[in-house]
Amino acid sequence: MVAEKITIEPVTRIEGHAKVTIHMGDDGRVSRAFFHVNEFRGFEKFCEGRMVFEMPYITPRICGICPVSHHLAAAKAGDVVLGTPPPRPASLLRELMHMGQIVQSHGMHFFELAGPDLLLGFDADPAIRNVLGIVQANPDLAVKAVGLRKWGQTIIATLGGKRVHPNFAVPGGVNKALHPSERDLILQGLASSIETIQAGIAIIRGWAERNMEDIQKFAVFPTGYMGLITPENGLELYDGQIRLIDRNGDQLERFSAQNYLDVISEHVEDWSYLKFPYYKKMGWPQGVYRVGPLGRLNISDKVDTPLANEEFQRFKALNNGKPVENTLYYHYARMIECLFAAERVQVLLDDPDILSTDILNTRTEIKGEGVGVIEAPRGTLLHHYWTDEHGQIKKVNLIVSTGHNNWAMSQAVDSVAKTYVQGPKVTEGMLNRVEAAIRAYDPCLSCSTHAVGQMPMVVDVFDPQGNLVQTIHRGL
Amino acid sequence: MRALVIAYGNTDRQDDGVAWHILRELAQQLGAFLPLSPAEECEKEIGNIHLRYMLQLIPEIADDFQHYDRVVFIDAHTGNVKDDLHLENLPATYQPSPLTHHLTPSSCLAIAEALHHTTPQALLVSVRGFEFGISSTLSENCARLVPPAARAILEWLG
Repeated sequence: MVAEKITIEPVTRIEGHAKVTIHMGDDGRVSRAFFHVNEFRGFEKFCEGRMVFEMPYITPRICGICPVSHHLAAAKAGDVVLGTPPPRPASLLRELMHMGQIVQSHGMHFFELAGPDLLLGFDADPAIRNVLGIVQANPDLAVKAVGLRKWGQTIIATLGGKRVHPNFAVPGGVNKALHPSERDLILQGLASSIETIQAGIAIIRGWAERNMEDIQKFAVFPTGYMGLITPENGLELYDGQIRLIDRNGDQLERFSAQNYLDVISEHVEDWSYLKFPYYKKMGWPQGVYRVGPLGRLNISDKVDTPLANEEFQRFKALNNGKPVENTLYYHYARMIECLFAAERVQVLLDDPDILSTDILNTRTEIKGEGVGVIEAPRGTLLHHYWTDEHGQIKKVNLIVSTGHNNWAMSQAVDSVAKTYVQGPKVTEGMLNRVEAAIRAYDPCLSCSTHAVGQMPMVVDVFDPQGNLVQTIHRGL
Repeated sequence: MRALVIAYGNTDRQDDGVAWHILRELAQQLGAFLPLSPAEECEKEIGNIHLRYMLQLIPEIADDFQHYDRVVFIDAHTGNVKDDLHLENLPATYQPSPLTHHLTPSSCLAIAEALHHTTPQALLVSVRGFEFGISSTLSENCARLVPPAARAILEWLG
């Protein structure tokens, strides 16, 4: 067999635009596969010169799926830059919005993006392996899934005025208190949402039991894991220190987000606009790690809400307390987090401070630099701003959730391609599995391609017969 | 008879937002008022007619169709259809797309049919866009199509 290249473009049922190229050898087996991110955004550059208090309104425009994460991370960075920590009620309200974001994002991903594969099968006809196929297979579940996402978005819209790109968090706090009627509105949807999430958990557990062979061979590889953590090593999505563990589950670092540059560095490849963060002390690529649902559950020892904690114990048992390495268990971890977020909404709404009007600290003492951190649905999100003495942005660095997982997604693509793609007949189901490897990480590619500058690049020019006639290098 | 009129498109990309302008014209002809610029989403009920604006179609709206007898979809086209003002009765037919943010009106109707085993009568009003720059002002050629589009919708609604 003559070596060939298979291209999957665009990768479907993910946020953003990406391409996969699979290089086949003469023996009909995969020699190498690449995950290319072709988007180019530039936020880090064009935010220079803006005022720091504008950033919670500019940065959500990076993305329409996770704008709340950027909104809150930007406000938290502004808190530090301006030396204006928010009052406790404001932090509770910000976290409440964040839980709405987690529920709507995780729910949407599980039921609408990953759902077609899990409920209809990787090899199902593409004509039905979509949202309509889900609706036709189980209309009742589809309606509940829509309701789950609506509930999460109701929380966001109640607090921030809009489902997408809310107007709410500002450096020093938030701009709106919660009214008792609004609290009651949110509580109305809680019970049914928990029920829907638990139905989702039952689906993924059942699927895993029936497909254990795939679970065990589909992109299973060791990495480090990273995320926010409570002081007692509980699952944490809003604030706290960052914990990094190694492949065996042993702690490597526990640090404040303000010091992330001491711990994390970024590597660049010439075939993607997405950078590759790694743990500095171990170097590249030994220091790669994963974030997001699998990463967060791996670094945690417990979950502080009862239903989610019960499920979390089952998750931990999958590998006898050691880190769970199987890519497909991202879906299970995602739904456990969704359950935690829903239960956390109840906890927050029961807090006596949630209805307080003490929501903004107006005293400022400009520090000139600050980092805001949050666990976006996809993983740890860092906004780092440098400003002048007036709070005008001089420099921005964004390390976005999906960026942390870049190496892992590339590795997953390569691994799944080598496991499942075999010539001479390459089926659509095989290629869908390669896409599913990326999809499990729920990447947000619009978020992750944010930099501008002299990105190293290689351009190959082919003639009509496919012969390489020229290679152009830049920045290598 | 209850009717839903959905206008969608990006009002910051000039003629891509023509649907919003048609919705405003429709509201005016029905004796109501919509602001010059929509928020991310905008809704208004005028008698039995429900006007709704959104940036793009999303699967969730299919669940709402069960409450209506007729649905009108208004959007812009780039000249890929013959008529500048194109009217079309829509079937409920799912049209898969590799892009998660691309959902057609017929696909929404197909989802509605799968959910509730019924679909409303549906009309697509697609208006030619000529310029798609970064502006909230319609091009002259596109702006001329707004009044006849609104009249066509009112005629169809009866």
